[in-house]
Amino acid sequence: MFIELNYRSGKAAYLQIAEQVKYAAASGSLLPGDSLPGIRPLAERLEVNRNTVAKAYSELEKEGIVEIITGIGCIISKSNSPLKKSVRNKLLEEAVDAALVQAHHLQASEDEFLDIVRKRMKTFSKRDLRAKSDSKK
Amino acid sequence: MKSNDTAIEIKGLIRGYAKTDAVQGLSLNVAPGQCYGFFGRNGAGKTTTIKCLLNLLRPHEGSVRLFGMDPKRDDVSIKSRLSYVPDHVPVYPWMTIQQYFEFLASFRKHWNTELENQLIDQFGLDHARKVDQLSRGERVQVALIGALCPEPELLILDEPTSGLDPVIRREFIRTIIGTYQDADPENRTVFVSTHLISEFEGLIDEFTIIDHGKEILTANTEVARSRYRRLRSRFKTEPPKIENEAIAKTSVEGRELDLTVIDKADEVKALINQHQPLEIKEESLTLEDIFLINAGKQGGQNVIKN
Repeated sequence: MFIELNYRSGKAAYLQIAEQVKYAAASGSLLPGDSLPGIRPLAERLEVNRNTVAKAYSELEKEGIVEIITGIGCIISKSNSPLKKSVRNKLLEEAVDAALVQAHHLQASEDEFLDIVRKRMKTFSKRDLRAKSDSKK
Repeated sequence: MKSNDTAIEIKGLIRGYAKTDAVQGLSLNVAPGQCYGFFGRNGAGKTTTIKCLLNLLRPHEGSVRLFGMDPKRDDVSIKSRLSYVPDHVPVYPWMTIQQYFEFLASFRKHWNTELENQLIDQFGLDHARKVDQLSRGERVQVALIGALCPEPELLILDEPTSGLDPVIRREFIRTIIGTYQDADPENRTVFVSTHLISEFEGLIDEFTIIDHGKEILTANTEVARSRYRRLRSRFKTEPPKIENEAIAKTSVEGRELDLTVIDKADEVKALINQHQPLEIKEESLTLEDIFLINAGKQGGQNVIKN
């Protein structure tokens, strides 16, 4: 797990941890059944109050993203399908919001913005194709 | 003896030396299980306050309570529940580490020898070494082991990491989080006095900034970080003059404007936007930034009180 905290982000530390786990679960880098690091080792590594990690984990449990099993630890839920789509959308919305704010500051119009989005999507799909054809060689 | 509402309660503390007041009316509360930061520059009154907590000094005015008890009247029962790591670790040069711990343990009802051995190994120390042959960092490590083995409810740290190398510093902080706090998170309280704030950024639940013996700011860490914002904007030409009571600091560099804003970031952002900036970025202040904004104000009012 590559959790990193940024104290300048304006987001509470426990939320940063919870969101990064959600992101990893939604994007497939954490799979159902995978276990999260224990509260103590993660707190030590991040140099945060252990209560911060505990709060993040209980938040994730409340949302059904992880299951906390006594004696085993914190496991990514097998049934995390309901969250997946909504979490994915929420994460995406946040990223788009940030881009929209930037577009506003740069005084880009809606059309200009959407144009850029389409262009970038094409660029990525080209790269994707190239990567696939490379891997076939 | 159990379940006090506060681990530390300081009310209107005044304590001076000769003609100067080192602490001029300080109040704060530390709840059990909290990690409380006590921030101030050198000479701000931190150590004087701690000495009042430890019954090494008596308050001239106001009161100090630990677990609801008076440090003088209940000296023995308070001391059995806390440990103190001072900035300069007193050692008895003729003692070995082993003898030093035996000496410390003789004052304690409880001493976790298993923990002692585990930490000795973890820090790469050796019981047979003479205490006066230890480096500054190793002395702090020995003091930390000595403070943790009685498994106290309250750990008071006075400038614990100043003068330590980064490796020992990190190990120190991780030991506080893991070995100390994690063992009984509801009841293990840390009160840390320091000016090296960034090292404790992730640990501190709540803090007080003290300057010239006066409380400048007391706040919950997350609340403080969300209220103190930095707005950085860039313009086509010279930045406009933005005025608002919420702006704590303004600096201009070329076409860039850097504002520190308390509470009303959105309002100030709207003011900036009226001048059509090329770019505007918002971030939170770190605890150290918040300290820098507040220390040196010399007894200003509390900006955030909760």
